Formats: sequence, structure tokens, C-alpha cells
Amino acid sequence: MQETGIKREQVSALVDGQLHGDEFVHAVDWLGQEEDARLTWNAYHVVGEVLRTGQAMDSTRDAAFLARLKLGLKQEAAQTDLMIATNLVAANAISALPTDQFDINSESANDSRFRWKLLAGFASLVTVSVIGWQAVGGWDAQRGESQLAQVTVRPSTPQVMIRDPQLDALLAAHRQFGGTSALQMPAGFLRNATFEGAGR
Amino acid sequence: MNNNEPQLRSTTLPTSTDSDAMLVERAVAGDQGAFELLVIKYQRRIQRLIGRMVRDVDLVEDIAQETFIRAYRALHQFRGDAQFYTWLYRIAVNTAKKFLLELKRDPTVSESAFKTDSDDDETSWAGNEPIADETPETLLAAKEIALAVNTAMAALPEDLRQALTLREIEGLSYEEISEMMSCPIGTVRSRIFRAREAISAKVKPLLEKQTSKRW
Repeated sequence: MQETGIKREQVSALVDGQLHGDEFVHAVDWLGQEEDARLTWNAYHVVGEVLRTGQAMDSTRDAAFLARLKLGLKQEAAQTDLMIATNLVAANAISALPTDQFDINSESANDSRFRWKLLAGFASLVTVSVIGWQAVGGWDAQRGESQLAQVTVRPSTPQVMIRDPQLDALLAAHRQFGGTSALQMPAGFLRNATFEGAGR
Repeated sequence: MNNNEPQLRSTTLPTSTDSDAMLVERAVAGDQGAFELLVIKYQRRIQRLIGRMVRDVDLVEDIAQETFIRAYRALHQFRGDAQFYTWLYRIAVNTAKKFLLELKRDPTVSESAFKTDSDDDETSWAGNEPIADETPETLLAAKEIALAVNTAMAALPEDLRQALTLREIEGLSYEEISEMMSCPIGTVRSRIFRAREAISAKVKPLLEKQTSKRW
């Protein structure tokens, strides 16, 4: 009982910031262990606030506030622990590897693979360059051919129909068949003509 | 006497700072209980501070929670150059401003949640303005506590009342009080403790009743 009284007096001195050394440590330890000690700590502060301000605040939420905060801090601590644990595992994994694996002068196991990748990349670059060059400009010869094709398409000279004298003679001999269509309407020109002859 | 003067004095107590700094030191070393003692000590002041910027009591609590969590995260940055409360005060104001900025962008939150007075100077607090969700019951409970403290204080023997007044209201150190009262520091410490015990004996049942009601 007397011991509790001494501890409470220490808490009172702690509220005033007048506790140092071992007394401070004992008082804080006691406050961390005993719920009643915390109630005393809280009550002393409430008394001080009322004396200073002349009024009290609603204290109904105080306990709930602290409980909620403790939960939040626990989550915060859990996240921090997880991060530390992850870093530790990673650090341990690295430190567990043989040190000769970190020799930067020695050739890596996958060095040849990187060389192949480099070669493939270079080949791709060359291919893309050639295709791009052809698309944009290309060789002069190719450019010339394309121009020639354009010239042949353009109808710059009058067209000359090549007449077949034998066909002309045949058509003249059979003019009565070439004048009407299948609908017995006059046709101004001959649509089709076939001629089979050995001497043609 | 100006209503705000005692509050100003309370933040400038010369000796309480050392105690806070030592609690911070312990908290940084991993003693979460030490940080919880700081929370118990300052939670009402911080809520009162935020309550002047925000009307909604649930929002006040959320901001206060965030304030203490931020403070806990940044605890290792506290150098002890300033008082712990001054440091905590800045965190609370910045947290509240950030919350308000986010809420003002939220169209579902009504304007009544904010206070038009954005002044964050603690000394300008009127203290009598009710905030949302404050019920007649909670107001009555707060008045009951204040009445119990004042009545118990008035009933104290003169030497105890004087020692506690010099400490809590005048903000004097034990050394200064011992000089004024012409008694050893140990006696001052004992008198202040006995005064507190006598008053908290009346207050504790009210605090416990309120807490049990809440739970």
C-alpha cells in the first residue's frame, strides 16, 4: 500500500517533469504495467487542465481514442516489421551466396547468352535500316523503273488499231448478221467476231 | 484574468519538457507505452485545437488519430530543441489543413463540417463553442468533472492548495515553489502529490463512469 503511494507520488512528480534517473525509469515502467497507474496519470492531467482552463473536456472518448490509436500503431509496427524482415531476408540471401560469385572480373554464366542477344539486336537493326532506306529512297535503278512504268501508263500518243484484212473481208461479206442484236434492234457496231482459219 | 493566459503558461512549463523529451527517447527506443503516456497527456489539448478548425467531432477524432500516428512515425526526428507540444501542435495543424483541403474537394461533405474561422492560434480559442455530436449528457459530464475539481480544490488545506496552485496555475518549478513557501523541495513534491490525490479521488469515479458508459 505504502509502495503504491510512493509510486503515485513519483507519477505526480513525473507529471510535473521533476523525475529523473531511476525514479523516472521505475515510474514509467509502472505506468506501462498497471492500468490503475494510467488512470492516475490521466486523472492528474485532467485535474491540471481543469485548474488551468476552468473547464473539463468530454472524457467519454478518451479510452476509445487510445484503444483505436494503439491498434493503428500496432498495424504501423507490423508493417515496419514486415519491411525489416523482407530486407533482412534479402540481405541474408545475398550474404549466404559464395563470395566468388561477386567477382566482377570473372565471366558470368550467361555471358554467351548476352552476346547472342547483342548479335540478334544488331541484325534486327540492320534489317530495319535496309527496309527503311528502300521505303524512303531505294536504289537509283529501282527509281528509274518506277518512272518508266508511269510513262507507259500515260496515253501521250494516239492509239492505232491493227486491222486484220481477212477479218475485214469477212465482215463485209456478212454485213447482214452484224447489223442486228439478239433483240432485233439495229446495232451500230460489231461486238464479237471469231474467225478460224488455218492460214491466219 | 484573461481566459487564455493559463493555457499559454501551461505550454511554457520549463520542467515538463524534460520529462516529455525523456518519454520520447524511450518511445524511440521501442517503448510504445512511453508514447501512450504522451498521448494521454496531450490528446485532449490536440482535440481541442483541432475542434477549433473542424466542427464534426468524429472528424476531430480522425484528425487527432492521424496527428499522433504521424508524430509516432516522425518521433526520431524530434530533437528536443522545441517543446514536444509545440512540435505536436505543428503536426496537428498541418494534418488538419490537409484533411480540410481533401474534404473541401469532396462534394458529399457538407459545409457545416468546417468552421469558418481558420485561425489556428490556440490562444484565440473561446472554449465555449459546442461542436457537433456534443450531447447534453457529455456537456453535463464535463461540467461535473470541473465542479468536482473546483470543489475538492476549495476543500484542501491551505498549504496543499497553495502548492498545487503555484504549480498548475502559475507554472512554477518545485524549486521556485520551495523558495516561495520556504520549505524543502521534498515537501513541495509531497504537498502537490497529496493535493492531486485528494482531488483525483473525486474525479476518478466520474472518469471511470464516463469511460464505462462509452464502452
